[in-house]
Amino acid sequence: MKLDTSGLESAAPLVGASSGFLDGFADAPSFEVPTTNDFDGFQKEAIQMVKPAKGTTTLAFIFKDGVMVAADSRASMGGYISSQSVKKIIEINPYMLGTMAGGAADCQFWHRNLGIKVCRLHELANKRRISVTGASKLLANILYSYRGMGLSVGTMIAGWDETGPGLYYVDSEGGRLKGMRFSVGSGSPYAYGVLDDGYRYDMSVEEAAELARRAIYHATFRDGASGGVASVYHVGPNGWKKLSGDDVGELHYHYYPVVEGAVEQEMVEVAAA
Amino acid sequence: MSRRYDSRTTIFSPEGRLYQVEYAMEAIGNAGTAIGILSKDGVVLVGEKKVTSKLLQTSTSTEKMYKIDDHVACAVAGIMSDANILINTARVQAQRYTFAYQEPMPVEQLVQSLCDTKQGYTQFGGLRPFGVSFLFAGWDKNYGFQLYMSDPSGNYGGWKAAAIGANNQAAQSMLKQDYKDEITREEAVQLALKVLSKTMDSTSLTSDKLELAEVFVLPSGKVKYQVCSPDALSKLLVKSGVTQPAAEAS
Amino acid sequence: MESIFGLVGDGFAVVAADTSAVHSILVHKSNEDKIMVLDSHKLVAASGEPGDRVQFTEYIQKNVALYQFRNGIPLTTAAAANFTRGELATALRKNPYMVNILMAGFDKEAGASLYYIDYIASLHKVEKGAFGYGSYFALSLMDRHYHSGMSVEEAIDLVDKCIIEIRSRLVVAPPNFVIKIVDKDGAREYAWRESIRDASVAAA
Repeated sequence: MKLDTSGLESAAPLVGASSGFLDGFADAPSFEVPTTNDFDGFQKEAIQMVKPAKGTTTLAFIFKDGVMVAADSRASMGGYISSQSVKKIIEINPYMLGTMAGGAADCQFWHRNLGIKVCRLHELANKRRISVTGASKLLANILYSYRGMGLSVGTMIAGWDETGPGLYYVDSEGGRLKGMRFSVGSGSPYAYGVLDDGYRYDMSVEEAAELARRAIYHATFRDGASGGVASVYHVGPNGWKKLSGDDVGELHYHYYPVVEGAVEQEMVEVAAA
Repeated sequence: MSRRYDSRTTIFSPEGRLYQVEYAMEAIGNAGTAIGILSKDGVVLVGEKKVTSKLLQTSTSTEKMYKIDDHVACAVAGIMSDANILINTARVQAQRYTFAYQEPMPVEQLVQSLCDTKQGYTQFGGLRPFGVSFLFAGWDKNYGFQLYMSDPSGNYGGWKAAAIGANNQAAQSMLKQDYKDEITREEAVQLALKVLSKTMDSTSLTSDKLELAEVFVLPSGKVKYQVCSPDALSKLLVKSGVTQPAAEAS
Repeated sequence: MESIFGLVGDGFAVVAADTSAVHSILVHKSNEDKIMVLDSHKLVAASGEPGDRVQFTEYIQKNVALYQFRNGIPLTTAAAANFTRGELATALRKNPYMVNILMAGFDKEAGASLYYIDYIASLHKVEKGAFGYGSYFALSLMDRHYHSGMSVEEAIDLVDKCIIEIRSRLVVAPPNFVIKIVDKDGAREYAWRESIRDASVAAA
């Protein structure tokens, strides 16, 4: 089946349909329509197919020495794990990080756009770095202008500016929240559990990094769509620094070493008959 | 030498003048006079009708006074065809404001929006300025009674008493002399008629050469725009001593 | 879930709103202020989709400020409410929108007033109003206890009654509320009613 769009043309074709040398040019524009009875359903499914990074755990929180940002690294398409090494923490500029949940391409594109078209140009024009408040608001406005058009972004913008540490949650529905502690993605409820329990504002960098790592680890343990490596970044007055990237499998054995259980029944080799 | 700069409204002459705008003002100098006086309990507008003929049959009772909204009226001096365009846009603006805010448009905003239109015609290419001056009389809840005067350049200002059209300078200076701050509406009517009678070119002042309108607030709080009927106007003229009934016969 | 409500008293109006930012089963934040101080004597409490809510109320706030800069006089509460209604109605014809608004204000002539604008842009002048799941409780409580000419103490008492009822009867009750007031002295925050303290409040 072909969708004929000739009705959309403002003028009738000048030449008859089969005038030899004009074939292919004079034809009314048209395109193939997928063979389906449920076109809306097809379109919905198609949109879902291009969103591989739905299952995710990301978190960020402000504490006395700055912002701690952490994420897993798994990308899945339904039941299939398509990658175990995704960089879900996007380095917008030396002082600002963005996290990735939802559509990988959407997040990556708009963060890069934020980094070069918004933050860098702001620096050049104003001779000072953009505030986290400003950058997150600009991103939220961009995403809001595309709402309902299929973008899927759930991100946290974390950074350090003239006012100190900053943390915002921004999503493609246009939501933007300022806060001290966020987690985004399918594993976020698990991460929140560990994070809320262990959080104190006056933690040291080491304690905060360990809390972030642990929260990601516990989320990957329970959430099938999260896994891979738990990366932890810290943003302080001098910009961000990657602190660690640990395979969550190894973390598991680090946190819960295999203990030799009491042997209830020893298997004894049967003497050769 | 100024000829080179005459033909375009948008171009300054070397002396920093916009000739077309000045010519438009000149055109208004020949139009019938209109006077407006602000009093503490209302605003009075009077105007001199230039075209009077026994054969003339007009659809409206007034040719210089127009109601713009329930709370604003204006008097015109200049090219009437130009004025009609502006009056229409003013009416549309007033209704648009009421549509958006469900309350009457503040008078100054109405004047400003109209003057923005006028200004546009002195700057954009291929246009000529409106050959019209206005007196706006109105009432709003923020500033009470108000009187504004505007010219073809788009300038406007609030006045206690103002005159536009022929001999407006003479009228203005007489108003300046005789205006008192605590003037009542009745006194304002008298003053307006007196000033008009002295500045008009024609020797006798009769009701068919005149228009009088008032904006005031009724005891109910409603703003009223009232045009004086020719009969009432004749009586007023006699009362204010501008014309004698006997003088007409002679 | 979202609960906003308000009422008019003697020379003032109060509005209260929950402060939860919810996403599916997650509470992302429990100190999100959903009542905007529109100008010196106006409050706008809004519920609805978070993006729409923030964008729309900020748009109205900026336009009201623009009006004041241009004309040197503030809009009356009635004019601002009618303007808001009109803008929402226009926006609805272009794309879907989901915002419910309670606008409270104080004018010299009209005194304190409260306007109710729902997501399909119908406007009512009310003495008490509510939106969201909490409205079922707040409305009946206000119907029962409201009377004209309430004092600030009586009104806050009633607001607290509503908050307590919502917290105890609503399955998905929000923990925290903010209360704002507007009277002749202007629009301002009156109090927070918190049963859970968010980390950001503790640290700030």
